[in-house]
Amino acid sequence: MTTPNRSPLHQINNPSDAVDECFRRGWTDGLPVVPPTVERVQQMLDYMGLAPDHILGEVPVRRRVLTAEQAAANSVMAGCLPEYFPVVLATMQALFDHDPNCIHELSAVTNSVGVLMLINGPIRHKLGLNCTDNLFSPGNRANATIGRAIRLILINVFEQRPGVLDRGCMGSLGKHGVCFGEDEENSPWEPFHVSQGFQPEDSTVTVASIQDPEMLGNRYGATGESLMDSIAEGMASHGLAVYFGRDIKWFWIVGHWHSELLGRLGWDRPAMQKYLQERAFRSRAQLKQLGYIRGDVEPGDHDARVYAADHPEDILIVKAGGNSGIYSELIMNYYGLIATTSKINDPHP
Amino acid sequence: MTTSPIQLVDPTGADPGLINLDLAPRPSDLRGKRLGLLDNSKANSDVILYAIARILNEQYEFSDIFYAKKHSASLPPVPEIVADLHRHADIVIAGVGD
Repeated sequence: MTTPNRSPLHQINNPSDAVDECFRRGWTDGLPVVPPTVERVQQMLDYMGLAPDHILGEVPVRRRVLTAEQAAANSVMAGCLPEYFPVVLATMQALFDHDPNCIHELSAVTNSVGVLMLINGPIRHKLGLNCTDNLFSPGNRANATIGRAIRLILINVFEQRPGVLDRGCMGSLGKHGVCFGEDEENSPWEPFHVSQGFQPEDSTVTVASIQDPEMLGNRYGATGESLMDSIAEGMASHGLAVYFGRDIKWFWIVGHWHSELLGRLGWDRPAMQKYLQERAFRSRAQLKQLGYIRGDVEPGDHDARVYAADHPEDILIVKAGGNSGIYSELIMNYYGLIATTSKINDPHP
Repeated sequence: MTTSPIQLVDPTGADPGLINLDLAPRPSDLRGKRLGLLDNSKANSDVILYAIARILNEQYEFSDIFYAKKHSASLPPVPEIVADLHRHADIVIAGVGD
């Protein structure tokens, strides 16, 4: 028996046609997908013990709901294994809990934002998440497919197709999916999720809407001040400075050798956050001259500071990335979902 | 070799379909009415809305001009803004500026 919230089924007489059929129906992100067969979708649902017509949430402004079956079908298509499904669900839940309409906002905005998923805790090892070398590169199944699953849900369930409801102007590399783990084991600091009030044994996902990351290569600075001055400079010169002073956060993904230096010199998170917040600013005059703020430069604008982050705690410091070079990554988080961390419910930890 | 058919689960969201919305009653005359302006929060939205209000005001002599601003250009106005417009305006101009 079918209910209003069950997904239609489509019979494919020759299984070898299934991938092309997914393209034909417009279900993909441009890459081939794993055909969402009834059996594969059921395995995903069984892992979580979810009924297919269970409603995970609704985006009121678009009058569309997301069912567990739809989330599972898109996760299958992305190439996820069933044990990845809890991360997909926790991410969607974070979006629904924040403001379900923010899911629409992610695509309505002409600035282009992707969805970042930072994973902490033991689930990183269980899923084989990459936390180190080539952090944001293709090459690892869990990283690549979990991020892709979110994008396919946005495309297929919420119609966030380019040219339809995805109104991004330049688009975003981040829309392919940004999922990675913190390199907790090689960090001089407590795990990021512990700094947010969770227990070390908790598995968490931190979800945020982000602009594309920017790599920063301070390779010759020998002090924490030199390193952080370069990060502050990156924050202050970031392209969408027009959003300074609004509700935004920053991820500083501290690369291996940068974290090694900072740890060795005794820098802790609160001290680094304070140092960066105080130094990442532009004058209002500069922002007007650069066209980021409307209006003519007026007396007082040269002395008026516009800070990249309103508060030290708006700068989120995470240790991840490889040790082959001396780099960090800076990511601006704005418009849609401001970073929020929540527990991942894995029924089979 | 023969193969068995397979069933694919449709991953797309259900089309919510069209709904009928009733338009608010049209005023027969704009003269002396209370004008509402709904700024979508984009830069310059206020500039163009006030420019339109100024031009219309010369002709219709509004009894009041009430300004409200959305908190996000990409989201509907929050209920408090809608209630304010109901309370303070007979007609509303909404628009986009950037």
